[in-house]
Amino acid sequence: MINQAWTRCGLGLLLALQLASSGCKKDKAAPAAGSGGSASTAKSLSLTLDWVPEPEFGGFYAARESGAFGKHGLDVDIKPRGQGETWKLVAQGVTDFATTAADQVLVAREQGADVVAIFAVYQTSPQAIMVHKARGFTKIDDVFTNPGTLEAEDVSWLKFLRTKFPGSAVKLTSNSPGIATFLAKSDLSKQCFVTSEPLQALAGGSDPQTFLIADAGYNPYTTVVIARGEMVRKEPETIKQMVLALREGWRVYLDDPSATNAVMGKLNREMDASTFTDAARVQHDLIDTAETKKTALGEMTNERWQTLAKQLVDLAVIKAAPPPAECFISLDRLR
Amino acid sequence: MPTPGSSVTLRGVRQVFPGGVVAVESMDLDVAAGEFLAILGPSGSGKSTLLRIIAGLDRPTAGDVTVQRPDAGRFDIAYVFQDAHLLPWRTVLSNAALPLELQGVDRARRREIATEALVKVGLGDALGRYPAQLSGGMRMRVSLARAMVTSPTLLLLDEPFAALDEITRQLLDEQLRELWLSRGMTVVFVTHSTSEAVFLAERTVVLSKRPARIISDRPVDLPAKRIGELRATADFARETRHVYDALERGEA
Amino acid sequence: MKSASLRRLVASIWPPVLVLIAAMLLLELYVRWANTPIYLVPRPSKVVNTLVEEREYLVAALWSTTKAALVGFAASTVFGMAIAIVLASSVWVRRAFSPYTVFFQTVPIIAIAPMLSIWFAPGLKAVAACAFIVSVFPVIANTLAGLIATDPALVDLFRLYGAGRGATMFKLRFPASLPSVFTGLRVAAGLTVIGTVVAEFLVGELGEAQGLGVVIVSASHNGHSDRVFAAVLLASALGLAMLGTVNLVGRLVLANWYAPARD
Repeated sequence: MINQAWTRCGLGLLLALQLASSGCKKDKAAPAAGSGGSASTAKSLSLTLDWVPEPEFGGFYAARESGAFGKHGLDVDIKPRGQGETWKLVAQGVTDFATTAADQVLVAREQGADVVAIFAVYQTSPQAIMVHKARGFTKIDDVFTNPGTLEAEDVSWLKFLRTKFPGSAVKLTSNSPGIATFLAKSDLSKQCFVTSEPLQALAGGSDPQTFLIADAGYNPYTTVVIARGEMVRKEPETIKQMVLALREGWRVYLDDPSATNAVMGKLNREMDASTFTDAARVQHDLIDTAETKKTALGEMTNERWQTLAKQLVDLAVIKAAPPPAECFISLDRLR
Repeated sequence: MPTPGSSVTLRGVRQVFPGGVVAVESMDLDVAAGEFLAILGPSGSGKSTLLRIIAGLDRPTAGDVTVQRPDAGRFDIAYVFQDAHLLPWRTVLSNAALPLELQGVDRARRREIATEALVKVGLGDALGRYPAQLSGGMRMRVSLARAMVTSPTLLLLDEPFAALDEITRQLLDEQLRELWLSRGMTVVFVTHSTSEAVFLAERTVVLSKRPARIISDRPVDLPAKRIGELRATADFARETRHVYDALERGEA
Repeated sequence: MKSASLRRLVASIWPPVLVLIAAMLLLELYVRWANTPIYLVPRPSKVVNTLVEEREYLVAALWSTTKAALVGFAASTVFGMAIAIVLASSVWVRRAFSPYTVFFQTVPIIAIAPMLSIWFAPGLKAVAACAFIVSVFPVIANTLAGLIATDPALVDLFRLYGAGRGATMFKLRFPASLPSVFTGLRVAAGLTVIGTVVAEFLVGELGEAQGLGVVIVSASHNGHSDRVFAAVLLASALGLAMLGTVNLVGRLVLANWYAPARD
């Protein structure tokens, strides 16, 4: 009967869509024989990025290109554009490491996925809302108190803002791919990373103006590298070497991004060289802050994880706040 | 008042199909007004082709076809196919009235005429039914009625009863002959069946196999009143014998 | 007679329902035994639970998706048939343009969704436009096939009585093509739902008027696979309902075409 064929078809298609986005269980990446530190047999690992090669991931490519990974006995395969929620891939062992945002780590852990953050690229989240300068907004509140449309994903930071600015006049719609809608419509505001979409909009001749979500009070660590909890417990030396290599890679990139940008530019044709340069410049102070100058690049603190957990509980994104020690590691705790 | 018939004149008619197949080879034929002519021939001999040329559905490769039209504005040709070819989404009445609808006759008038035609063929109480609910014979009768509604002066039939059982076929033969007698239009009837041709027609033409030529053209020597019992008589057998012989010659 | 058709209805419903219940039981047992993580595959029992507990929220989303799907389907029906009629009227037009109708079939929604949300406002209009684009091709293709395949003897008959192109199209070709039209509509019904949900991922409205696509994306982001599957089930139910309606309408419209069924 056609009815049953279509049930199967429709269900199957949507199921496939969902499973594809979360990644089915595959063979775990086989760890190479020999521990880290032995230069002859470098440990094969995979790192899945949650977007395309952009300055947001510059330090990872720099770690590869500059030999930082190799120096620490690691052979890391960088895979851009992980589909869907990358924490599922890590939890299932499809990939060893991945990037995600800190709030996702908390969501993942509540769902029973044992993922742990080991390195945070952005101390200040680059998540922002971009608006047209011609509208004369002066603060992020204006986005919500004025009519118009806001394209955003229905995720934690949006919930945060909607709670902060209730009864908003703005119409919310899904985040459409690309910046075409922003260029075309003068009353459209759109979620963005300050390192990406606003620069593309400028290059497209538009007048973007950005408001950081972090300034409104919601500032999770962003582009956080996560690993399986099991790996952290069983292979602390590998994790340590990885963190050290990442610190070196990011230092290289922050000091001089040009070589790495050239490598990434070949992988990502959509962003031109000057945008790469501008983005690297814009993000510099979001990554290397007063704190990291005191401690180290990528370091995280209990206090910020606690704050984030509480915010997510208040927003009903998670039910209970886990102890920060479960969510991330720092090198001194690893020894 | 019986409708006057059209006369049909073919001169040098030749039909070649794409690919070079010659269906009809330079044919001359005269059909008198009000005549009942039966055309026979082997399968694929060009009988249908000839009929379509007379109807104006196809144009001949060469030659002239003249159908004398008593009334210039009217379409006085009707065509009955081997299958009834009714529109399945329309009732019997609506199907029968179709030719009048296509000519712009108003609703009340065309229903009246169609009803009359359907009653004539014995379907007076099936007006609201749909083709899917009818038997093959009933559908063919609707097709006949449909052919009658425009009061055609030339009625062309292409083996219309071939797919029906013997009894229904003979019934419809009788009904067709009745219609012809009462209306007086010219009828050209293509058939495979010698007995049917002899029963119905005043004149038979037998064609050869392709390319079609006229093998035999003779009148049917039987009384004007044809009833069922006629089929059993010796005269009838004699006439069918003549036609059959011509067919055999044509096959050779 | 009424009890006979009621019996027939019941007889056609319980087998697939039985299969569904059996499948869910099997899946429940498997998931428990294999200890599959809940963020990948939820327990069927949890999905049912979510369907019941969050029914207001889910049904509101279903209604939103339904509205967009119905608009998209209506557009596919009307424009699909109209385009097919235009293509059928002229051999040259057909040859020149029908290859491009395949474009509707093959264009990936993700590429055109931003454009659509610019031309039509984001939300219902853009989503319905996507649903239309995804589902119109089968309507065009099937209707066109039906129009071209009209019985040539009937076309001859119409020609004999001097019918013009318009009369031949609307009194003969189009009614004769209705069975093909309904075949096309059946395929389009399922595609419409898929197209609507996918479009909602990209250009759907958030907030109160959000559709099942937005529910799926948000729930997936937060690892609530039970909600994801509940939404998927509702989307499938919508697809089934639309297909069933098309079948029913088809049966009514074509009722007289076919010989009466034996009881």
